[in-house]
Amino acid sequence: MPYSEAFKDHLVHPRNAGELADADASAELTNPVCGDRLRLTLRIRDGRITAARFLAYGCPPTLACGSALTQMLEGITTQEAAAITRQQLTKFLDGLPPRKTHAAALALETLHAALDAFESASEADQE
Amino acid sequence: MRRVYLDNSATTPIDPRVVEAMLPYLTEKFGNASSVHFYGQEARVALDGARREVAALINARPNELVFLSGGTEANNLAIRGIAEAATEHGRHIITSQIEHSAVRGVCDALERRGWEVTRLPVYDNGIVRPEDVRAALRPDTVLITVMLANNEIGTVQPVTEIGALVREERERGRKYLWLHTDAVQAAGRMPVNVETLGCDLLSISAHKLHAPKGAGALYVRRSVRLAPQSIGGHQERERRAGTESIPLIVAFGRAAALAREELEGRIEHLRRLRDEFEAGVEATVADIVFNGDRERRLPHVSNISFRYIEGEGLLINLDMQGVAVSTGSACSSGSLEPSPVIRAIGRDEELARGSIRFSLGKDTTREDIAYVLEVLPRAVENLRRLSPLYARASNVKCQVSS
Repeated sequence: MPYSEAFKDHLVHPRNAGELADADASAELTNPVCGDRLRLTLRIRDGRITAARFLAYGCPPTLACGSALTQMLEGITTQEAAAITRQQLTKFLDGLPPRKTHAAALALETLHAALDAFESASEADQE
Repeated sequence: MRRVYLDNSATTPIDPRVVEAMLPYLTEKFGNASSVHFYGQEARVALDGARREVAALINARPNELVFLSGGTEANNLAIRGIAEAATEHGRHIITSQIEHSAVRGVCDALERRGWEVTRLPVYDNGIVRPEDVRAALRPDTVLITVMLANNEIGTVQPVTEIGALVREERERGRKYLWLHTDAVQAAGRMPVNVETLGCDLLSISAHKLHAPKGAGALYVRRSVRLAPQSIGGHQERERRAGTESIPLIVAFGRAAALAREELEGRIEHLRRLRDEFEAGVEATVADIVFNGDRERRLPHVSNISFRYIEGEGLLINLDMQGVAVSTGSACSSGSLEPSPVIRAIGRDEELARGSIRFSLGKDTTREDIAYVLEVLPRAVENLRRLSPLYARASNVKCQVSS
């Protein structure tokens, strides 16, 4: 299966590339098998993601998933973000080749790691 | 959008003169070269003519050539053919770590069936050392298979020196040792002479010479006996059964003749443009590493590793701007297969993942190179801006300079 036009557009014109200096949540995960790496930084206000940025190293699907995910995240609540599925992310890119779906898994695992870190930090503040 | 094809090591555009030569054999001249009647004889004449042309390209005798479907089949016939024919004399094969998968795969398959395989290193210049071949020789070695020039980095291997070593062994009375070389990338891009090389078997492919895909040849020195891998017909002196594809072989013959006539000019043109390209990349893109010996290599290849980014991303970026290149690394199902060639020359995983092969062709122009030099630095920069490795390295550099 060739890459979709939406996929290639994200690759060549990535959305939200970079890092938020004043991030409320961040995570960087590496796929231990292939070495692909994704860094996600989020700004969260009143339970809503107001900004998301990504940096990625690895095969094109990892880059495109990072770009697509940050676009999906902006403006939604952290609960809505946590519920994003691999299928939704893949659909946002008009599909991924079957052997490349691990990239969507890495993107969502990085998101969950960032949200978990944010939640733990918030709980610690309340205590 | 301008299109620039820099993937001539994968395949080459078909030369219109080659198309012209083959067309009658796709239409009115359709005979089977094994038939006795007029149509058959017409095909036979064409087959013999093509055989002379391809043989001339490598300085072989026409009856030493076996036509087949391409480089992969040639490598299969050479290696399996010798291994199976020489079983009673030994089951040890010497090869290199940077062979094309068509050689690597056959050696791996034989190993699973009980043969022993020694895979020689290539060091950081991407070249096998003849002394390593000598050291690896055993009484039961029956075949040495080392490519003439590498398909990813273009490095030219010391096949002549290895051929001299085999001759030396023969002079000492050794009978059952043969030398095969995969010359698929080399033919048409450097002089190839089976006598100078001293090889017993040599593989070539038509589609790397501006002919269509589907034809190739194996040179088999007179007196070398092979176990055929395709049986059931008398074609090709019973070394490869099956009706010959006359149109494809005629095309191969014409392409070989053109390659021979134009060889010097092509080499000069390719080397000049390739060197211009490399100087341009060096001047505009930082943090790059050239892969393979820069002197002892084919004139049309430039293999470059771009730090902090991955090859496939760069490939797609360039493709979207009309530039076709290739990368030796592949990531699928979450497992990474960095190019074995780039790893064999000692590059770390990041450099192996970030390697791109640019391979020029006889029709590549200076304007093509200028266009690539315009889009490539931007594409690299765009990908680096996304890379956490680059962000980290840049921070370190800033801290150092401040």
